[in-house]
Amino acid sequence: MSGRGRFLTRKVAGSVLTLAFVLVFNFFLFRVVPTDPVASMFRGRGVPQEALDNLRTAFGLDQPILTQFVYFVRETVQGNLGISYQTRQPVWEEIVSRIPATAALVGISAILSALIGTFGGIVAAWRRNTWKDHSITSGTMLFYSMPDFWLGMILLVVFAVVLGWFPVGGIVTAGTNATGLPLLLDQLRHMFLPALTLTLAYLGEYALITRSSLLEVMGEDYLTVARAKGLLDRVVRRRHAVPNALLPVVTLIAINFGFVLSGAIAVESVFSWPGLGKATAEAIRGPDLPMLQGLFLVFSAAVIFFNLVADIAYGYLDPRVEDR
Amino acid sequence: MRRVLVLLAVAVFIASLVPIALAQEEDDSVVLRIGDTQNWSSLNPTAGFLFADYEVWNMHYGTLTNKAADDFEVIPGLAESWEASDDGLTYTYTLREGLTWSDGEPLTSDDVVWNITTANEQAWANHYATTINLTAVAIDERTVEITSSVPDPKLPAMDFYLLPKHIWEPIATDDVAVTEYDGLDGVGSGPFVLSEYRDQQSATLVANPSFYGWEGEDPPIDEVILQYFANPDAMVAALLQGELDVINNVPIASVASLEDDPDIQFIVGEQGSFGEIALNGGLAEGQPHPALLDLTVRQAISHGVDRQAIVDDLWLGLVEPQDAINAAADVSKWTPEIPEENRLRYDVNRANQLLDEGGYLDTDDDGIREMPDGTNPIVLRHGVNTDGDLAQPIAELFQGWMAEIGIGVEFSSQDADQLFETIVAGDYDTFFWGWGMFVDPDYMLVNLTESELGNYNDANWTDPRYEELYLQQKVETDEATRIEMVHEMLNIFHDSAIYIVTSPEPELQAYRTDTFEGWVRQPADIGPVIMTQTGASYPLLQPIGAEAEGGDDVNWVLIGGIAAVVVIGGVLIATRRRGTADERE
Amino acid sequence: MTSVALQRRKATALRVWTQFRLSRQGMVGLGILAVFVLMAVAAPLLADVRELNPVYARSQGNPLWGPPGEFPPLGTDYLRRSVWAQFVWGSRVSLFVGLAATVLTILIGSVIGIVSGFVGGRLDAGLMRITEWFLVIPFLPLAIVLAAVLGRSVWNIIFVIGVTSWPSTARLLRAQVLTVKQRLFVDRARSLGAGGWHIVSRHILPNVSGLILANATLAVPISILTETTLSFLGLGDPGAASWGKTLEEAFSNGAMIINAWWYFVPAGLGILAVVLAFTLIGRTLEEIANPRLSGER
Repeated sequence: MSGRGRFLTRKVAGSVLTLAFVLVFNFFLFRVVPTDPVASMFRGRGVPQEALDNLRTAFGLDQPILTQFVYFVRETVQGNLGISYQTRQPVWEEIVSRIPATAALVGISAILSALIGTFGGIVAAWRRNTWKDHSITSGTMLFYSMPDFWLGMILLVVFAVVLGWFPVGGIVTAGTNATGLPLLLDQLRHMFLPALTLTLAYLGEYALITRSSLLEVMGEDYLTVARAKGLLDRVVRRRHAVPNALLPVVTLIAINFGFVLSGAIAVESVFSWPGLGKATAEAIRGPDLPMLQGLFLVFSAAVIFFNLVADIAYGYLDPRVEDR
Repeated sequence: MRRVLVLLAVAVFIASLVPIALAQEEDDSVVLRIGDTQNWSSLNPTAGFLFADYEVWNMHYGTLTNKAADDFEVIPGLAESWEASDDGLTYTYTLREGLTWSDGEPLTSDDVVWNITTANEQAWANHYATTINLTAVAIDERTVEITSSVPDPKLPAMDFYLLPKHIWEPIATDDVAVTEYDGLDGVGSGPFVLSEYRDQQSATLVANPSFYGWEGEDPPIDEVILQYFANPDAMVAALLQGELDVINNVPIASVASLEDDPDIQFIVGEQGSFGEIALNGGLAEGQPHPALLDLTVRQAISHGVDRQAIVDDLWLGLVEPQDAINAAADVSKWTPEIPEENRLRYDVNRANQLLDEGGYLDTDDDGIREMPDGTNPIVLRHGVNTDGDLAQPIAELFQGWMAEIGIGVEFSSQDADQLFETIVAGDYDTFFWGWGMFVDPDYMLVNLTESELGNYNDANWTDPRYEELYLQQKVETDEATRIEMVHEMLNIFHDSAIYIVTSPEPELQAYRTDTFEGWVRQPADIGPVIMTQTGASYPLLQPIGAEAEGGDDVNWVLIGGIAAVVVIGGVLIATRRRGTADERE
Repeated sequence: MTSVALQRRKATALRVWTQFRLSRQGMVGLGILAVFVLMAVAAPLLADVRELNPVYARSQGNPLWGPPGEFPPLGTDYLRRSVWAQFVWGSRVSLFVGLAATVLTILIGSVIGIVSGFVGGRLDAGLMRITEWFLVIPFLPLAIVLAAVLGRSVWNIIFVIGVTSWPSTARLLRAQVLTVKQRLFVDRARSLGAGGWHIVSRHILPNVSGLILANATLAVPISILTETTLSFLGLGDPGAASWGKTLEEAFSNGAMIINAWWYFVPAGLGILAVVLAFTLIGRTLEEIANPRLSGER
């Protein structure tokens, strides 16, 4: 196997192992809680004792812990994540149905914040210590220091409640029959404020990291040489400094895709955006443990996956990296 | 490079503004849009138990008899007339002519017989209490004879939901199988039948042309959409912006803005629902703090609760405090006035006096009283229902009130299901919850009997005289006598100080006056217009002219303004670039 | 500690402080922090704690949702309680939880990082595996799941934040310890027969303490923001109202729809200010430790 192939295999294997640890964690978490999972599923419904006992056997709850774990892994791998306490529907279906909403919101916000933030970081670094640098650095630090959902609350009150320019929540207008393009536009209209919130909240990280990594790179020798050759500032920036400085940023973007997914929990709550985040907030109220476990698994898997993507991308982009 | 980025930003910006301008309705059909903050538990009448479920069933399923909107009197439903036997135990109902189910199958007395028989065999949750003593015989296609084994004051009311036999018989193989069915076949005999259901989102019903109430005319409304809102503020905003026609569970904070709008009517719908702080009566396996077993302590706690504060601050004075619980939707009839000398209203001095006299003193001066022997400080484990809106504020208030009389309160946050289990197990001292009423008091009264211990008896309490009266009222057909019995029962329960009634909990609703007319309050003048006992409004609503969507003017101004800024800015940035030298290496 | 070492410590501290004093961003941060710490400590003097009790509030005749004009300085909420009192007393909880959680984070992270870097070998590999696992796991869902299982109390929240935030500290410290290990004097000390603990306390700790301080200062914002988010989602201690809990109550009781801005704006500003303060201080300390970061050549 080539060096690259070995690198790839090792990375993938590492990710699978990490995911396996998540499964183990989930399993033991469930067992920490003293309540009887079968009884919990039928709370308040007066199911006869006999039926409950049958279910316990079916779930293998009377087996030794190792058998239970095997059963748990087998079911999880097959996509059976249990039944939600609150909705009594399969957790897997509940989660899958909510992924598109979050993916859309988080995807757009992640892209926008990466673009705008990186751009701002480049400007700030290149115009180091000027008013542009200071305003960009201070502005992004300000947004980065506030709770993202609080920013959302303020935007909501100003633009939706007071000015009425945007809806107060949800993903579509109530009871709408629209399909196709009008539906999409309606959804975009509802997405504007939450996306704005997430974008503002996260662009600071990109700006600051881009700025500092660019500053570091700017201190390196080959740039001095380029400058000495008489090239214009802009070209030097574009052709030499930025691509190298972008290396850590690229990985950051990829990694952040995974994290912003779960970071949107509170923001989705504020805007009643029907995605994974809001599902998490509602599952907390129970607590709907099967749902929380399932969500945790999905969030972790997303981050692990995107980390893998970032690692591989980094490996391809930076020829200096042979092995990690 | 920069220019490209700028253009990209401009494009994204404009693209995001277009939806504001273009988001419009496209439909010509008449749609009634309802908003509520309660999700559905199940649309299967043998399994569901929430208000939102009943609302769908009230539209979807017809009943043999119906109830008048103004006073709940028994009126014809699917049955157009009935005759009583001499002993009053047998009623013969005649179905209307030409009744069919929404899928075209004929609706006959066979359906009625099957419903009653199977409901009894399988103990269908929402039918059983009505059908338990009944047997039915089909005389012919349109005539059915129903006999009760005991005198039943509810007769001739036959308002259990009639399920289509041809759909349900293959499903109802046993009592567990029938409850597992999702109930989404869409076959019913009411004004609207279920056509689509999305859990935690919406339930859509379409007009049922074969409903007898349309009297052969075209239904005035094509579709009814019940929309679930997790965020009540979004629901209010939707009503204000004309996206909804009527809403339930208006949050108190929004009342003012609704009352200000000339096109919206806000109402306080009373149909007997109330809230209470319930104490642990001690009949479950888990025991309350021993102090709670002493009546004087319970009385002191009741004296410590400031009902006026609840009514003023949490209900903005829209209701009045009351002492007894309600037993039925018609409060004026069934709820007694507790005699002045028995009331346990807010009186901190009296509360402290009772506790002092009982020997519950604060011997170690830490602000919490102990038992007479000096041990076991009185700290109450209070269950906070995370599924309820008022549970949190009332919990905070309760803690404050109890602090004034030297009793500690600890919170335990649980969702409705978990709290139910906790109550059944008895591992609590107090909690806050509420009850919704039916028309007949029996359904509420049974909850405080021995037979419901371990199930719906969340007071964990009984009383021999109450039990006695319960059995008597159950078969008392003379209403005046029955009312007296019920009043005595409710007085007994009040005097036990197990429940502290915090306030009536009416349905706060609001509907637009410019989209539909014909809203009916049930009961007359004081009741709600939706989420009622029988859904009386639905067959009677008529649309008002064409509906215009508001808000477009503002959006055009917004778009124009922002577009102008963006274009100007883009031009400025672009022109600045052009001035500099070219870049070639 | 010998007097020589003590002298050296004092000199370092003085040098850091002098540099710090010259940094505008550092002093601004310190100033803001001082204001809030003072507010938290002097809470009983600034606001009557009884104002947090809705029963007391009602007995005082407070208005419902009273704007600041009607009830200075910050109005009242849905239970007639003074928002100013909640702000002042809430600062205590937010700051305490933020600091305590950070202490736990730094403690766990430092111990693991230092031990891992110093001992090396299989222990190092094992600990790093665990650290990486924690780093990869999205920490907010992890914190939520743990908090939901453990229950709503201040100590649980501190524990949860500490247990989920330590990895970056551990990694940082391990790297630093490895660097220090490579310096000659450690080997020299070893060859002189000095024991492990001696080396750690005399040579490694002094060289990483600056890093720990900077890292800790930058970790406080994360702790505070995490506590705020957890409280907003309903996992906070119902008896200890932090600024995050205020935001949750504002959201749940309709403050937004009636535009009772005085209820949710101050709490958010408080968090913003405190987080900003720690960030500024932390960045200044980082720049003092590593001058290249400020962009100077």
